[in-house]
Amino acid sequence: MRSRTLGYAIVSICLGFFLVASPAYSKDKIRIGFSMALTGIYSQGAVSQMNAYRVWKEKIDEEGGIFVKEFGKKLPVEFVYYDDKSSPETAVKVYEKLITRDKVDLLFTPWGTTIHFAVAPLAEKYRFPMVGSTASSVKLRQIKSRYFWFITSCIPDRQMEALVDLLKHLGVKTAAVIYVQDLFPRENLQFLKPALQKAKIETILIKDYPIGVKDLTTVLAQVKGKNPQALIALCYPADSFLVTGQTKGMGLNPDFLFELVGPSIAAFGKAFGKAAEGIATMGHWSPKGPWPGAKEFEQRYVKKWKMRPDYLDSVLSYVECQIIEEAVEKAGTLDREKIRDVIAGNEFQTINGPIRFTGAENLVTPSMILQYQKGGLEIIWPPGSATAAPLFPKPPWPARQ
Amino acid sequence: MAKRAALYGFLALILALLCLVPAFASDYVVSLFLDLLMWIALTESWIILSGYTGYISLGHSAFFGLGAYFMAMTWTHIPYALGVLSGGLVCLAFAFAIGFPFLRVRGPYFVILTLGLSEFTKYLFINLEIKLGGTVGRILMMTPGLETLYYSVLIVGTGATITAYFVKNSRFGIGLFSIKEEEDAANSLGINTSIYKWLAFGISAFFPGMVGAILALRRSYIDPYTVFSPAVSFQVIVMAFLGGFEDVEGALLGAVVLTLVSEALWAQYPYYYMIILGAIVIFIVKFMPLGVLHPIKQRLLKEPQ
Repeated sequence: MRSRTLGYAIVSICLGFFLVASPAYSKDKIRIGFSMALTGIYSQGAVSQMNAYRVWKEKIDEEGGIFVKEFGKKLPVEFVYYDDKSSPETAVKVYEKLITRDKVDLLFTPWGTTIHFAVAPLAEKYRFPMVGSTASSVKLRQIKSRYFWFITSCIPDRQMEALVDLLKHLGVKTAAVIYVQDLFPRENLQFLKPALQKAKIETILIKDYPIGVKDLTTVLAQVKGKNPQALIALCYPADSFLVTGQTKGMGLNPDFLFELVGPSIAAFGKAFGKAAEGIATMGHWSPKGPWPGAKEFEQRYVKKWKMRPDYLDSVLSYVECQIIEEAVEKAGTLDREKIRDVIAGNEFQTINGPIRFTGAENLVTPSMILQYQKGGLEIIWPPGSATAAPLFPKPPWPARQ
Repeated sequence: MAKRAALYGFLALILALLCLVPAFASDYVVSLFLDLLMWIALTESWIILSGYTGYISLGHSAFFGLGAYFMAMTWTHIPYALGVLSGGLVCLAFAFAIGFPFLRVRGPYFVILTLGLSEFTKYLFINLEIKLGGTVGRILMMTPGLETLYYSVLIVGTGATITAYFVKNSRFGIGLFSIKEEEDAANSLGINTSIYKWLAFGISAFFPGMVGAILALRRSYIDPYTVFSPAVSFQVIVMAFLGGFEDVEGALLGAVVLTLVSEALWAQYPYYYMIILGAIVIFIVKFMPLGVLHPIKQRLLKEPQ
């Protein structure tokens, strides 16, 4: 019986350890909390976001902090973050901890759509404004929160409409679609099919492949057999490398090649070099865009991390930081209710141009298409935002060395 | 008898304290306890089949996910408590339906088969959701508060623990242990091992179904990749092995220790806790292969002699 007593004693001590009061903090800095996928399935993607947060913090440190009128001085920023293990309920627990125990002043968002959706109800419950960054889904419109907004304009319905508009503009007649069995690509497919039909572009092939695929030659051979004018690959970063490499290896040369997620990542440009020329992808930013601070952001990022930012995730995350920063300055206080009102009712000047929220959505930034041209990504669609004309037809793959 | 009364008293006290947690603790502490009770429910239910009979199952994530999806699909259509209970019953029925062919397979083949089961259910739901709703994820609105979810998990966790205890100390439990010792011999002695395993599989699936149903509401957004994540199955096994997978106290201790240790490390060392945790698990498996409780017990049992 003594063993049991010992066991229970250990358990009781462990429990007691977690009930001790949380330490108190003084108000000489702004504490910003968030969870990040440092481990687990999302950890590779999350790096782009974490890096952008750090670049922003470095900038604020250099400026001596954010000016808050209420305190009559600049307050430096401190990050409080934990690993969410890429798990939604861990993220929920993290935000509960940040809010009720660490008593942070403001919150940043975690990485990924799933985790955004998991923590969104907490924003409402605790009245904490949160500006969503690396999340996109048509479902975000279902989140009717007064305290949660999404920056992205890569929402599947709008994104696929932009893509098909471009194809129509280029005079494309036939298209083949391949897609990975994952959430975001499949959501896009739902909107791509009717849009192509409406534009009278013939879809000559629709083919799927599983997550974690290691070989796409059979799928691509079918595409080659049909010889479509455009190949639309609704892919994710891991398989985007495979799609590109094997399309090149097979000498499959469509006039237009679109890859949904992947080409915007720095490693993609590095891996394919000249072969990336002409590949199109989704995104709504380029350092060449006419927005103040865009170039400086890229320079700062490259200087710190020795690689260019991800034109999707890093940029969205940095824009989130900018919106929070501007909102605190405009509100002149750390009162979250006032900060919420500022975010909900104002236009913000960011490295991605002006942003204003309508409900939870950013309707100011249009959905855009990017394309590799001369080693960099240019915005080629829509015409109002373009930094370069579309390169069409896409040049054939460079000859093997 | 006095000792037994003291033990029951102690357990009742713990239960009473757990009931009081939401009243005086911050939301974070409540959610930590919710986590803890969830793992207790999962581990205790896991040992009913795998700990007692030695049929190591990786199917817990399938039942967890199934319960979660049942809740997501019926949420706002049927009352909360009914949804949770039915989530468990659906898993029970599912386990009974597949039980006979599944449990004819033994050893490593059974492990692989159950791993396949959770992958199968995952892809089944991905395609089902595409057909039904166009997209895969589901957002759940107007979910119950933290306290309601906490008490639900407390009930399920207590239920799983009590069930595991009574199963072990019954004729049924002895039968299950005999399957672990030598299934063919047990069979020849007149124990209907097929029925025994089948029942244990069903009971063991009932609780993760309910836990999944509750946790779906806690996440408020679910998709097949996260609810059918194999991590659930693996973590349950690690917990059971840590504490000792043959009895109720072992599973309980494993769940408590791993949850609290990983929580403490996780908050302190965001980049290193996995490494430290891995080292601890390797150490325990290497030097205490029957769980941390086992060597303590043995020493104390030998002492009087």
